[in-house]
Amino acid sequence: MKNSIKVERAKKNITQADLAILAKVSRQTINAMELGKYVPSTVLSLRLAQIFEVEVSQIFTLEESDWN
Amino acid sequence: MKLNYLFPNKYKKVGWLILIPSAIIGLITLYLDFEPNSLDFNVPAIFIEELLGDKHFFGIVNNNILNEILGALILFSSLLVAFSKEESEDEYISKIRLESLVWAVYFNYAVLLISFVLIFDLAFLWVMIFNMFTILLFFIIRFNWQISKLKKIAHYEE
Repeated sequence: MKNSIKVERAKKNITQADLAILAKVSRQTINAMELGKYVPSTVLSLRLAQIFEVEVSQIFTLEESDWN
Repeated sequence: MKLNYLFPNKYKKVGWLILIPSAIIGLITLYLDFEPNSLDFNVPAIFIEELLGDKHFFGIVNNNILNEILGALILFSSLLVAFSKEESEDEYISKIRLESLVWAVYFNYAVLLISFVLIFDLAFLWVMIFNMFTILLFFIIRFNWQISKLKKIAHYEE
């Protein structure tokens, strides 16, 4: 699964640490998500969408490999 | 996904403060076979095997309780260290915690299996003594290693 957290973060002009505080997770988690190492739960995805003021589907995109 | 059944974060430090000295003292007393007479007591037992091989349930035995005290302290403090929340215990940390636990169980049983096949008789008693603690020990090492690796990576980015 791809995500545009880094892009959305740039639009809002906030750091990983800022986003971590807003989303109530650790900075490592934000980092791991941006690197594609961690797929967040539905709750965290919805939190991110609310913070960025976009739909969840605008942040996260399914890839072919997600069907395997 | 947040894991339940975890202690508050502050107990991790308490755990380390008890674990390190009791593990050091435990290893020394084990190595020296140290059993001070002042700690010989008649204590209740659930299962007893007499020297001549007579076995029965429930009774009183005379026992040196130093190893029981140290063993209990090590187990108790290992549990605190292993299962106290991280400062920021979020869903990703929980995932790493779970993976480390699975890894520790596999690793522990791999070591136990090898020891079981290659170590015999009374020597195997040593394996059983250490195996009481190793599953938690392997978990603590693996989990904290993963977390520290994570902190380092996050530090370099941005």
